[in-house]
Amino acid sequence: MNKFSAALNVHIEQVREWGQREVRPAGLEADRNGAPLPPDHPYFAGYVDFRRRHPGPVDDGAVPEGPAVRMAAINEENAYWDRGMGVAAPGPGLPAPIVAAAGTPEQREHFLGPFRGSEIPRWGSFALTEPSGGSDTTAFRTRATRTDRGFLLNGAKCFIGNAARADWVLVQANLDPDKGRSGQRSFFVERGNRGMTGIKVENKMGLRAYESVSFILEDCEVPRDNILGGERPEQTSRSSAYGATMGTLNTTRVGVAASAVGLARSAYDEALNFAKQSGAFRSIRVRDRLEAMHRQLRAAWLMTLRAAWKADSRIPNIVDASMAKVFAAETAQDLASAGMEIVGLEAGAGHHLVEKLFRDAKALNIVEGTGQIQRIIMARHLVGLPR
Amino acid sequence: MDFARGESDEIIAETIGRFAADELRPRLREFEAARTVGESVRERFAALGFEALDIAEEAGGAGLGLLARVRTNRLLAEADAGAALALDRFAPAIYVIEAFGGVEPLKSLGMNLGQSDLRFALVTDPGAGDVAGVRVAGHVAWIPAAPADVLVGLGPQGAWVLKDGFAFEPVRGAALHAAGASAVRFDGTPILAWHDPMRAARALARIRIYYASLIWGVLSDAAGFSRSYALDRVAFGKPIAHHQALAFLIVDMYVAVARLGLLIEDAAMAIDAGEGRAVGAAAAAFVDAIEASRFVGPNGVQILGGHGFMRDFPVEKAMRDCRALGLLAGGCDSAREDAGAGLAATISERIAA
Ligand SMILES: Cc1cc2nc3c(=O)[nH]c(=O)nc-3n(C[C@H](O)[C@H](O)[C@H](O)COP(=O)(O)OP(=O)(O)OC[C@H]3O[C@@H](n4cnc5c(N)ncnc54)[C@H](O)[C@@H]3O)c2cc1C
Repeated sequence: MNKFSAALNVHIEQVREWGQREVRPAGLEADRNGAPLPPDHPYFAGYVDFRRRHPGPVDDGAVPEGPAVRMAAINEENAYWDRGMGVAAPGPGLPAPIVAAAGTPEQREHFLGPFRGSEIPRWGSFALTEPSGGSDTTAFRTRATRTDRGFLLNGAKCFIGNAARADWVLVQANLDPDKGRSGQRSFFVERGNRGMTGIKVENKMGLRAYESVSFILEDCEVPRDNILGGERPEQTSRSSAYGATMGTLNTTRVGVAASAVGLARSAYDEALNFAKQSGAFRSIRVRDRLEAMHRQLRAAWLMTLRAAWKADSRIPNIVDASMAKVFAAETAQDLASAGMEIVGLEAGAGHHLVEKLFRDAKALNIVEGTGQIQRIIMARHLVGLPR
Repeated sequence: MDFARGESDEIIAETIGRFAADELRPRLREFEAARTVGESVRERFAALGFEALDIAEEAGGAGLGLLARVRTNRLLAEADAGAALALDRFAPAIYVIEAFGGVEPLKSLGMNLGQSDLRFALVTDPGAGDVAGVRVAGHVAWIPAAPADVLVGLGPQGAWVLKDGFAFEPVRGAALHAAGASAVRFDGTPILAWHDPMRAARALARIRIYYASLIWGVLSDAAGFSRSYALDRVAFGKPIAHHQALAFLIVDMYVAVARLGLLIEDAAMAIDAGEGRAVGAAAAAFVDAIEASRFVGPNGVQILGGHGFMRDFPVEKAMRDCRALGLLAGGCDSAREDAGAGLAATISERIAA
């Protein structure tokens, strides 16, 4: 039930080897510097090369697991070494499946094409959240208005991953406020657009390895071809920007859960190793704690895998995915905190990995639907909580 | 039974509260970056006359007792727990000296607290308890302190005091940066040393309550700040505080802070009154502080959503500060051990009676 195929394990092993050698040290370096590694840092060129050599499992039948389980397995291993570096990794990122699902053929080619086989690091970015609110997607204030040449965007976005280094940022804006959230569309804002101003890289508690960027859109002109799905989305399938976005967030939820499990496993291992080396493992209190940590970790991982397996098996998994996301995120936080206690003053000194994990973990219960939002989703299904 | 506060308590609260709000809170990130509160803030605090608040009058302190100290600590830590530590040159190290030798040894060493500029620091040394003249040596990975003039070591069996033979080495520190962050290496001959497990336990009780009261302040602020934020922030057509999922969370956080405060004040009163249950009560309050930290700290951030994760808001600092404070005084497990032992003692006393 919960064993991976040998073929998938080969991929996990590649990520593990790369993670231990490159990702962990790079993540620690960024955290120490208090800033993401610059885009021209050799790490990123190395990553591109690693990905060219090891593209990861694809849909060619060589790996029997479905895409969701594969993603969970790879995300978990990646985040074990450093969640922040995982997000900082070059690539189109979160918008890729949205563009693939809702973009026109030309957009898929123009915006995703350069990433294929690229020898230089490139990033894509996805801007949904606004300073005035992230959970309530109906309240977004960024507006798009039509012009002769295309669109003008006005508004503000915040905490957007990789936005300052991205080739393009896929920005959510409302083109037709009268229609509420179904009036929302997505627009490619390409690098160098002068309407994207006030770019600020946020100073975060953790996950300092990737940039979270806030910016203002001030009469930001985008060409007509840059509206996702084209001007008349009714003609393409799944192209309501809102629908495509929400559909993607539903699938990536399991991916975030898996990352949280990876981070939690890292905290557990740090605590266990410390306890063994320091002799604290002899204390029944410490062993009890480690047992509880291990149990919680195992449950979170099984929950995540089941949600992924259901997705691959086309069994409705909304409750499972939300449950995994919230439980795994809270597990990461709990285990990092308990790990701090076991490691004690060494953790207080600020050099120990578990201290960094403690600062990194919190974001996982906030990004891509907060813990409260996940509970609301579950409650709608379990007890018919009204909207 | 009387939960009312006296007039002098109100005056202290008013003065300290104003100082914390005016002098500390607006500058918390500045102190954090500088790893000190700076001399001028320290002088202004000293001028208020609350520096050695709970130290015996004979030693140059104000002699107001631990209860006054915990209330003061709470108010200072609501603004910045690191700054609260930085502003206290004496405690909690001085509690050890008071518990073992009273104030006489201090005076005989020419240390009249009211008149000297000395700074004291405390480390845990499981080997403490040997007699004077025997060398002590060890290394402590982190204390939230800048270099001090006098180092006090405390272990379950006893304690020692070093005037030299120790070195502070700056470390990154997980939190509480305004107080500084140091690793301490010591290898020297104590000027004072005691062996007395009972007194060691009493000193530790005061120290635990001291740190617990700082946690109380941190959590009280995290709960209060996130509550006000939740009243201002609107999502889905109403303040987020009015969505039941957050409303109940906010209420539970309020309860956690309230129960912690009651346990801390109760233990402080027991210590001030020299009651037999004081050691167990202090250990239990410290455990409660750590458990409340695990709940209130991360949820303070959670209520602010993405903003909570950014250093523009104080809740991420609160989460780190309370976590770090809970690592001090021997940490959670040993406190739990002592709380349990205290319970056993109470039961056996009852049986004996
Ligand atoms: C490290 C990091 C990286 C991020 N990266 C990106 C990115 O790349 N792109 C992007 O678009 N965004 C990104 N975000 C933003 C993230 O998606 C939002 O922070 C998140 O959606 C929450 O929105 P908010 O911060 O505005 O909080 P709010 O929506 O204001 O929520 C505040 C609090 O209210 C609660 N709440 C809201 N509504 C309800 C309700 N109905 N019932 C009960 N409780 C409720 C929330 O759970 C939360 O606790 C990132 C955030 C972080 C921290």
